[in-house]
Amino acid sequence: MTALMQPGFWVFILTMSGIYGIFTLGLQIQYGVGGILNFGHVGMMALSSYTMAILIISHGINFWIAAAIGVAVAALGGALLGLTTLRLRRDYFAIASIAFSEIVRYVIYNSDGLTGGVQGSLAIPVTGENYPSYTDTWDSIINRARDILTPIFGEIVDRDFVMAIIVWTTLGILLLIVSRVERTSWARVLRATREDDEVPAALGKNVFRFRFQAVIIGSVIGGIAGIFWGLQSSLLSPDDFLTLVTFYGWMILILAGATKVKGLPIAAIFFGFLYGGSRFFTFWPFSMLDASERAYVRIMIIGIVLIILMMSRPQGIFGKRQEMVLE
Amino acid sequence: MNNLILEVNDVAVSFGGVRAVNGATLDVEVGSVTSVIGPNGAGKTTLFNLISGAIRPDSGTILFEGLEIQNLFPHKIADRGIIRTFQGAKVIKRLSVLDNLMLGGQNNPGDSLVNFFNPKARKAYEVQCHDRAMELLQQIGLERFAHEYAGILSGGQRKLLDLARALMANPILLLLDEPFAGINPTLVEKLLEVLHALRTKHNLTFLLIEHNLETVMNISDRVIVMAEGRVIADGKPNSIYENQAVIDAYLGTRKAFK
Repeated sequence: MTALMQPGFWVFILTMSGIYGIFTLGLQIQYGVGGILNFGHVGMMALSSYTMAILIISHGINFWIAAAIGVAVAALGGALLGLTTLRLRRDYFAIASIAFSEIVRYVIYNSDGLTGGVQGSLAIPVTGENYPSYTDTWDSIINRARDILTPIFGEIVDRDFVMAIIVWTTLGILLLIVSRVERTSWARVLRATREDDEVPAALGKNVFRFRFQAVIIGSVIGGIAGIFWGLQSSLLSPDDFLTLVTFYGWMILILAGATKVKGLPIAAIFFGFLYGGSRFFTFWPFSMLDASERAYVRIMIIGIVLIILMMSRPQGIFGKRQEMVLE
Repeated sequence: MNNLILEVNDVAVSFGGVRAVNGATLDVEVGSVTSVIGPNGAGKTTLFNLISGAIRPDSGTILFEGLEIQNLFPHKIADRGIIRTFQGAKVIKRLSVLDNLMLGGQNNPGDSLVNFFNPKARKAYEVQCHDRAMELLQQIGLERFAHEYAGILSGGQRKLLDLARALMANPILLLLDEPFAGINPTLVEKLLEVLHALRTKHNLTFLLIEHNLETVMNISDRVIVMAEGRVIADGKPNSIYENQAVIDAYLGTRKAFK
């Protein structure tokens, strides 16, 4: 119980929630607006974070440029996924997209000379003066921000605190941009394609173009989440990018109500606290179980909460019921 | 230069072993109202799907304003000015009625993501598009449903919406698949007025599938009769009644018809 009392723990949860929130925002525009079932979203996060790490460690490239290229590579990954499989029917696309993220993960796993393979980013080959860390520039940025923020917030300001503020500011900006995008006629067409291909096509809309663009935008946002993921954990492993992570994103999306962005931050925090907080469910009745058993109880609780929520509010916390169930 | 807006030449398409359209040849004159009639399974809707690009023919050509269109994507064909409605009406149920209509707006700068950074152009178009949509909604009597989801509309109302949405797209040639089935008689009258006004004002051309013979005979300049994937008769409405092939395939004996 003591860990639950420490603000540092909750700040950490907040940071992870924010990163998951950004990650899920990419799914929101794809599924909530475009009806695209992307189960390979974690692949974009893997692409951006690994690209950034490799460029910095192996090639000594400037952090900002490396991060930008990382996001660009995630976008390219989205383009590749879209061009090869987006013409498939919705459910088949979902299957193909899982395959995509698994391919990315297995390539990372097996490309020792490039990615460090199973040993993760610590084993990324080093050239010249470099050493296997990609967070130096970021750390100095964080430290400078700490010096500025400490007089305002006091002792609570640590690395995670600064990180939380940066992540949530980014999420806020992205939410603002995406919610604006979702009010354009572009989004109206994309919403139409969610339900039907023939009608928009018969009105002169290139359905594939709209879907493809939605996948790219979602991938860029997923890529941004990947950069933060990498910076937060300061070391990468192929096992960070299991398909399970994609489904955590889907949980948040379903909780929030897929069709609207406004529920997303709350759902992300809810998920983060449930996921991270339940790690410390050491009190009765959980005290009857040992630590390894509790790890599964945690996942079960998340599942149960989701089921209850879906039964009582299928539209999520903020979604519109009609937009989910209307036939 | 002839005054044919649409020429369908010996078009055929099969689904599995079934030749749904089997060498259909027909043409449509500029500014005319041409009706396609025929028994169920004659290939009428398939013909529409071929013209609108929803399916591609196995053989034959389709010319619109003198240019081949049979290999174009549906959205490219719509861009040229051929707009269709759907049998049984298709609306986007989880979009508002107004949004359904505004979806029909052509060359909308807001459809392009680049113009996200050009809100002036986007908004100017949206305002104009919105006004036109409201005007159409008023004409079909659905203005009070403007902000409701289209999924709550009845079958007949969906038909009206489908038709109005097609009009939003500024068509040159309008393909209407059973536009009047399931719509009450007074509204049919009103719709015919709207369509007639459009025809005289914008020189719109209509190609429609319809089963109500009275309506067909009243409004059509020309009637094309299809059966088993082919055109079996083609002529002025009156001549169709006299055609023995049509009587056998579609109308039945005169006694039964009268």
